[in-house]
Amino acid sequence: MTGSSASHRDPTLPPPHEERLHALTTAPGDTAVLPGFLGRSVGGGYRGLAPVTKLVIALAEALIAFGVRGWSGPLLILVLVLVTGFAARVVRSFLPFLLATIPLLVSIVLVNTFLYPGATDTIVLLGPFHPTWTGLVAASQATARVVAFAMSVALLGLTTTTDDLMADLEQHGLGRRLTFVIGATVRMVPRMLVRAGEITEAQRARGLDTQGSIRRRIQGLIPLAGPLVIGALTDVEEQTMALEARAFTAPGRRTVLRTYPDGAGQRLVRWGLTLGTAAVLILSVAGQLAFLP
Amino acid sequence: MDWLSRQFSTRVIVLMPIAIAINIVLGYTVQTVLKLPIYLDSIGTILVGVLAGPIAGLLTGALSNIIWQYAPGIGGGTIGPFAITAAVIGLLAGLWGNLGVYRSRPGEGLAIWGPAVAAIVIIGLLAARMYTIPSYGDQANGYPSWVYPAIATIGVVAAVAVLAVTYFRHDAAGSWVAVAGAITGVVAAIVSAPIAAYAFGGVTGSGTDAIVAALRQGGADVLNASLGQGLFSDPIDKTITSFVVYLILISLSARFVARFPLGDRIVREPS
Repeated sequence: MTGSSASHRDPTLPPPHEERLHALTTAPGDTAVLPGFLGRSVGGGYRGLAPVTKLVIALAEALIAFGVRGWSGPLLILVLVLVTGFAARVVRSFLPFLLATIPLLVSIVLVNTFLYPGATDTIVLLGPFHPTWTGLVAASQATARVVAFAMSVALLGLTTTTDDLMADLEQHGLGRRLTFVIGATVRMVPRMLVRAGEITEAQRARGLDTQGSIRRRIQGLIPLAGPLVIGALTDVEEQTMALEARAFTAPGRRTVLRTYPDGAGQRLVRWGLTLGTAAVLILSVAGQLAFLP
Repeated sequence: MDWLSRQFSTRVIVLMPIAIAINIVLGYTVQTVLKLPIYLDSIGTILVGVLAGPIAGLLTGALSNIIWQYAPGIGGGTIGPFAITAAVIGLLAGLWGNLGVYRSRPGEGLAIWGPAVAAIVIIGLLAARMYTIPSYGDQANGYPSWVYPAIATIGVVAAVAVLAVTYFRHDAAGSWVAVAGAITGVVAAIVSAPIAAYAFGGVTGSGTDAIVAALRQGGADVLNASLGQGLFSDPIDKTITSFVVYLILISLSARFVARFPLGDRIVREPS
């Protein structure tokens, strides 16, 4: 103990406020002003991009996969997404997203292969069914499109949390109200699913049959959906007052606590992608990309 | 601008996430879990449109589908591109709300039974017009035979529901709500068909694919099969949805409803 003011303090007492604040806001061996967990490192490459840049990339991928007909658009996006996914080490987690598309893919392949209008190049006759090559090609292209789109969604979802994305969007000028609506929805859906489970149990305790035949289940829909919807709506009153009490409608911009890496390069990527995608879509609609396979 | 900002009071901003969550949770249950050939994913959209106005409804519809597409666990389907349809549904709901379609109209005798009969006739004419489009009319390229009894059954059930609400509540509003829902459905089908045909080759992986397959079997091309499916599912779906919204509105307290921007168009004026 030296002659500083701290030497007069009992060492078993917690440190004074300024010291505690300093300990909180300074990571060991770091001179940053913000707490360590706020400036967490996420790695370089795709992961190092600002959330809003990743969103622009995902939207451009979706628009090109659907906007450019034939094979080129979907396959280009598929390759691009898989390479990025490998680099960001999330390819393995793509699987659940891929599985979710299977019902749709089965539908696409069956309906198009067997029932393509006007196609006559039959592959093989199976009784009343006659699958066609034209239908199979159309089905494969639609499949590639859907998979490419699902993977672009997965890439964004797996590398970006909703909170980060919303905070970054607000920083880039998205209105406070829209930010709240999107953020609150994302939090609301799982909460509502939990609530639906609670209501199901409560109604079951009162003798409702929720596991019988289809007819029984449809009959059970009203006592389940009714309280869910009305209950959620009655919360509006309380939430409105809570927001008003916290100056939700106050004018001016909010101070941002967490900032994201951004720079001229990323801004260039965003604008380039936006304009490039628009150009490609216009060319595609005008039929100027018909030479692509 | 005042007209626009009035639609986005704090109360509406709070209602929107709840409405979107209702869309997603109910729509997911009906389409993916129960696999019924209707959607029921626009209850929240129509509710916001009716309570707050067309632009709030439009935004709720579009955001519902976009957020649903990106929602972890239940997303990843084909719902995203239909954000355009959902936006149109919300916009129309706002217009109906502005016109006072959902306002309570109590009465007796002709005042309530007149509109009820008119509604059934209007919906019947609409259905007859839609389901007898010449290209679907002939047996070779038409609907499969089971569609007609199915339409008749659903029509009878809807008519009974309208008449029951009219009878028990002594109120004509339910009739007009059903008409507004049917018109919304026709518009939604016309907007959806090109999206389904262009983006997904006409199928969406839900219960409605059976109808698309049946129409394709009958020789309809991709766009017409999608349109045929839409004209079958959408008016039924939107009529049911609008009716559900009406039932929700009458089970909420007038005090609660009246505080929304269009509340005065819904709550009965004190006589």
